[in-house]
Amino acid sequence: MRRTAAWRIALWTTLAFSLGTFVAFFIVYLMVAQEVRARSDAWLTGEAETLAQVAHNTPRDSLYDQIVEEVAELAMREVPDERSSGGERLNSVFFLRVDPTPGGNNLFVGPGSKGPFWRALQQAPLVAGVPQSVRVEGWPLAFRVVVLAQERGSTIYLGLSEGGVTHILQKLTRRFLGVWTGTVLFGFLISYLSARRTLLRVERITETVARIGSQELDERLPEQLNSDEISRLAKTFNHMLGRIQASVNQLRSVTDAVAHDLKSPVTSIRGTLEAALSAESSEPWRDAVGQAIEGLDRVSVLLNTTLDVAEAQAGALHLDRVTVDLSEVVTQLVDLYQPAMAEKHHEVRTDLESAVVVDADLGFINRTLSNLLENELVHLPDGCQINIRLRAHEGNAELVVEDNGPGFPPDISSHAFERFVKGKQSPGYGLGLAFVAAVAQAHGGAVKISDRSCGGARVTLSLPISALQPA
Amino acid sequence: MRLLLVEDDLPIQRFVARALLEAGYQVDAAADAKSAEALALEGVHDALIVDLALPDRDGLDLIARCRAQGSSAPVLILSARRSVDERVKGLEHGGDDYLTKPFAVAELLARLRNLLRRSSAPQTESVRLEAADLQLDLVRREARRGDHVLQLTPQEFSLLEYLCRNAGRVVTRTMILDHVWRMRFDPGTNVVDVHIYRLRSKVDRGDCRPLIHTIRGVGYVLKEA
Repeated sequence: MRRTAAWRIALWTTLAFSLGTFVAFFIVYLMVAQEVRARSDAWLTGEAETLAQVAHNTPRDSLYDQIVEEVAELAMREVPDERSSGGERLNSVFFLRVDPTPGGNNLFVGPGSKGPFWRALQQAPLVAGVPQSVRVEGWPLAFRVVVLAQERGSTIYLGLSEGGVTHILQKLTRRFLGVWTGTVLFGFLISYLSARRTLLRVERITETVARIGSQELDERLPEQLNSDEISRLAKTFNHMLGRIQASVNQLRSVTDAVAHDLKSPVTSIRGTLEAALSAESSEPWRDAVGQAIEGLDRVSVLLNTTLDVAEAQAGALHLDRVTVDLSEVVTQLVDLYQPAMAEKHHEVRTDLESAVVVDADLGFINRTLSNLLENELVHLPDGCQINIRLRAHEGNAELVVEDNGPGFPPDISSHAFERFVKGKQSPGYGLGLAFVAAVAQAHGGAVKISDRSCGGARVTLSLPISALQPA
Repeated sequence: MRLLLVEDDLPIQRFVARALLEAGYQVDAAADAKSAEALALEGVHDALIVDLALPDRDGLDLIARCRAQGSSAPVLILSARRSVDERVKGLEHGGDDYLTKPFAVAELLARLRNLLRRSSAPQTESVRLEAADLQLDLVRREARRGDHVLQLTPQEFSLLEYLCRNAGRVVTRTMILDHVWRMRFDPGTNVVDVHIYRLRSKVDRGDCRPLIHTIRGVGYVLKEA
């Protein structure tokens, strides 16, 4: 349990909370203590002054001592009769009048005998009218003593035990400690439980993810309706899982497709070589080896293109951008493909705006455009017409390649840009348009396909026009 | 001409070495960077052919070390790593040309010839090319077979010029695309072949002996059969 985050969170919160409340109490305690002491001192001073006045005003006759003593006792009764649990009187008060004149009478009213009080008072550096603490032998707590001098050299001492004040403060401390401990424990419990509750959700995420790691990818985290941090974590996680699953599935299908596409050339290469080997003469060998190499070249093209498309789709295509005049590139490519097109009785018409310049990787652009032309070459029945148009349009170079052939098969047109998607009749590997789309995307452009209203397919490739081009 | 071939894949090393020997080169072969470095520092090689993935060290490292020791022999890099990044890095580290596996031996030889020509004194550019009874005037861009002037398009002339320059040597479709059209890709269709057929119908016309031959699975060669 000590290793759990809930425990640590609760512990630290509680520690901070208890420290804070403790400091707050300490400040309150100091203020209360000061106030209680001030009140007690004010009572002491006031009472001493009253006694001094009484002593002063009372005629000095034989009854003088008696009257002062009674007044003193009367005053002491005003002190609340605080008793500790042991029954000991806490608010002990003493009154002492010292008359140094010959024949003068010393008067002492208070608990016990005068001796220890008198000795303590003589040693204490007292200032008239200011209450001070004096320790008296035999008493555990100090007395607050105020001294007043009177005419004819007599002095009045009035002392009040600090027991009352101490008692109040002790009671305050005890109660606070009780409440403080309770609050801290309660706070700890609450923060521990709530942290645990929250972290249990995290724990569930961990468990689910651990299961996903070792088993299937189609499991999902439970999502809650509210959108706190943990719900968002779960949602983000599910989103990520969805993406991972999609790419794993795609990877699987790509691997399957590559494996499948490799099988047929490998089979034919093997068959060719085997047939040559089992032939009587060595005459057909040359031809078989040639066929085998051609087959291997197709395999190599398949592998390279697959890797290129994968790289492009992963955004890892390294583009060596130069300023490319698309109209020149298209013209050159059309020149290259013209004879092959003519061979199939296709008519190629071009309508190219001049000087449409883009920042692009020339190698990739060449391959992309040749892919589009190869598509026409491979997929069209003989004797079609192919239109190639290039124009600058809204900041993009827009290349349209369209034909009057049969158009895109309806079952592939929605995902023609995915790898290994191809028409049933197509002899290719289904990488051409995926490559075109990936390269266009890497250049910040786009490609879309559509069927022409009059029949036939149209591919529109747009690439951002070079910013450096003069307006 | 003496070459150093650094390749740890022994079947590949064997067939490349054999092809180089057949092409008339002397070949020293090494299978790891350490022995390759020792051989290279003898300074007797006219060119190095280096595979990047060596068992003990990276091929780029080997090239850099050879360059640091003052070797100036041109280096042709062979690699299965086919990303453009790798190509650029290879050329930056002192490689002079780059060929990705799988490759056609014809292309390897062509690139090697190119490198060796580049490193030797520049030749004076001739204005005429001749092969068998074929004559090309590079200034007037005119081709003759015997005393018959061939009617060629500019493209066909460039193609014939390339075949003539490599007369007797096999050129692949990729090499033709690269040199005649300045495009580097493997065409999936017969675009190049159609150009060759057309050219052939003009060059090897009538009853004269055919000059342009198809080497099945590799490419084309211009020679007297």
